[in-house]
Amino acid sequence: MTGRVFAGVDAGSSATKCVVLRFEPGGETVVGHAVTPSGFDYADASARALREALAAADASEEQIAAAVATGYGRASVRFPDGVPRRSITEITCHARGAREWYPAVRHVIDIGGQDTKVIRLCDRGRMADYRMNAKCAAGTGTFLESIAVRLGLPLAEVDALAMRSTTRLTLNSYCTVFTSTEVLERIKAGDAKEDIAMGMFRAIASRVIEMLAAGGRDGPVAATGGVVTYCPAMRRALEEALEVPVHRPPLPQHAGAYGAALLAAEGAAEGDSIALHAAPEVRRDAGRSGSCACDDPPRRNAPSCADSASLRGRPC
Amino acid sequence: MGETALKRVEIEAAGRLRALMRRYFLDLDEAAKDPGRRVAWCTSVGPCEILAAFGFAVYFPENHGALLGTKKISHEIIPRAAGLGYSAEACSYMNSDIGCDLLGCSPLRAMYGIDGPPRPDLLVYSTNQCRDVQEWFHYFGHRHEAMVAGLRPPRHLGEVTAEHVADVRVQLERLIEQIEIRFELRLDRRRLRETVERSSRLSVLWGRVLDTARHRPSPLTFWDMLIHMAPVILMRGSEEAIAYYEALLAEMEERNASGAAAVPGERWRIYWEGMPVWPRLRDLSEKFFDLRAAVVASTYCNSWAFEPYDGGDPLDWMARTSLAIFINRDEASKERFLEQTFARFGVDGAVFHNARTCPNNTNSRYGMPERLRERLDLPVLVLDGDLSDLRFFSTAQSMTNIEAFIEQMEGRS
Ligand code: SF4
Repeated sequence: MTGRVFAGVDAGSSATKCVVLRFEPGGETVVGHAVTPSGFDYADASARALREALAAADASEEQIAAAVATGYGRASVRFPDGVPRRSITEITCHARGAREWYPAVRHVIDIGGQDTKVIRLCDRGRMADYRMNAKCAAGTGTFLESIAVRLGLPLAEVDALAMRSTTRLTLNSYCTVFTSTEVLERIKAGDAKEDIAMGMFRAIASRVIEMLAAGGRDGPVAATGGVVTYCPAMRRALEEALEVPVHRPPLPQHAGAYGAALLAAEGAAEGDSIALHAAPEVRRDAGRSGSCACDDPPRRNAPSCADSASLRGRPC
Repeated sequence: MGETALKRVEIEAAGRLRALMRRYFLDLDEAAKDPGRRVAWCTSVGPCEILAAFGFAVYFPENHGALLGTKKISHEIIPRAAGLGYSAEACSYMNSDIGCDLLGCSPLRAMYGIDGPPRPDLLVYSTNQCRDVQEWFHYFGHRHEAMVAGLRPPRHLGEVTAEHVADVRVQLERLIEQIEIRFELRLDRRRLRETVERSSRLSVLWGRVLDTARHRPSPLTFWDMLIHMAPVILMRGSEEAIAYYEALLAEMEERNASGAAAVPGERWRIYWEGMPVWPRLRDLSEKFFDLRAAVVASTYCNSWAFEPYDGGDPLDWMARTSLAIFINRDEASKERFLEQTFARFGVDGAVFHNARTCPNNTNSRYGMPERLRERLDLPVLVLDGDLSDLRFFSTAQSMTNIEAFIEQMEGRS
């Protein structure tokens, strides 16, 4: 591939994601993306993710015109020398990414490994306000993971169980440790494993409700992040709690990196002033791909299911 | 963004402040050791003018609590207090001060070469700020076998009425009587009036220092104010403190005249509501500085900028000022005050600190940030943390929150 590309790297607490895109007159095209465990070394993980995404795009480091680092480890992200780079929070990047997929979206719920964010956008697509979970694992991916570990089940299995739940069960504890204990008590009491598993997702959804309530619930909702990527039950729990359909973009886990790459391109185009404003035009549903296997096909050129091959073989 | 090396301009008066603080603490230490002198402990908006007029050297344990916070040791010593049955969610000033006492340690030793907080002969609290101070003072009263007296003013007021003032005035008279009996002293009313006059002058000067931050760019920020506010709390009625604030005010006015900015290239003006996060002052101030955001006003620092004394009954003034403080007002009054102050200082956004162990000085728990955001169309951030206990504060999460807050404002501009 020739020409300039823009890179976004989202160094999250659990996984580091990278999106490489090319900006063309008709809009942006995602040409590569990757995800890799963050481990202890964000610099190393971000270099790996960038390398893999560039390889997927058949592009080289020299072609990177601008880059944005985001996520918990954003300060440690390294880009090749000479690449103009900026650091922008994951809140802004997730909002930007989600809005590109769903221009009319008003709420973005990002459930990450370490924190959960609820971002409210105004009708012009601008960030109106946002909330992050308090300093606590409850309501995040870590909450699910730690309970799954306690139960000795892979997270995928917890999700599969939850999707077979038939009876509503609510877990009452607020904190991760107490919820683990409550789960064991429920098992002892003979409650169905499927319902208990769904109760775990419901617990996260109820934390989201707390954060969302402040800004009202007007307009479409999109959910992003690793939990939504790998656990369909999470979306189900959110829809049940919010009583509205929740959009799940084709690459939910990459929403932050995607937004970062978009902001890198826009920043370069605008002479490096941060382009956090509304999209130049709100292209409601424009160019939706009818062939995407996702429930909510993205706007034209945005990464879709077809792009997810490099996502370690996981279907979207 | 924010990856620049801006140059911070030091406030010249800071050197003078250090000397002033040193003299204050050495004098307290001397008073505690001198059988001819007495020490009284007082809450930060308690009746300290009466104590000073009686001749007590007045010490404020909240200052020690804040000091323990800045030294980043509160979270390590609080468990000691918790072991005595004080909840880890009760005031972390109180808990760290008690923990410190149990361990027999104090940063005052390294700072001023004194043993620690001065041993009290008398402890006087006012619940105009919270109930925790009552428990805190009783702990130390018991510990030092010293007299404890408390004022319990009417709380959460809308208007401060003549009845409220009369109520507190009666309590102040009773306090005077108790002290006179217990210590066989006689209050010199003329001396009280003079102390109140100086206290008021000091407070007015402090208010004027704070007001210099209305200038664009601001000559000082919340982070500077937190350092320079010590005399208005600890040395009310002191001529030395008055001279100090005159110098500080002159310096700030000079800065304004020359256009010198506390945050060069000031882009954003922020209001800070609630307690400071003492152990993370440096991180927070640097973060805002790098983002070219000047925190120009705060509820906290304004708490000691009282209405001026008009020459009437000094006890009336003391009663009224102790009732009128922000922390003692109802939601509607607080909200009105914030709205007016946002406008006076021309702020672009407000940070509400949700201090886990101080619900009294936290105003984000009953919808106020949301109401103000909606009504004023002003970006508002609620930051979870604590005044001292780092276990309730996540630096990484808070920094992301602050950056996103600024990005939100960038998006609006
Ligand atoms: S007002 Fe808050 S910080 Fe101050 S003493 Fe009371 S509880 Fe502690």
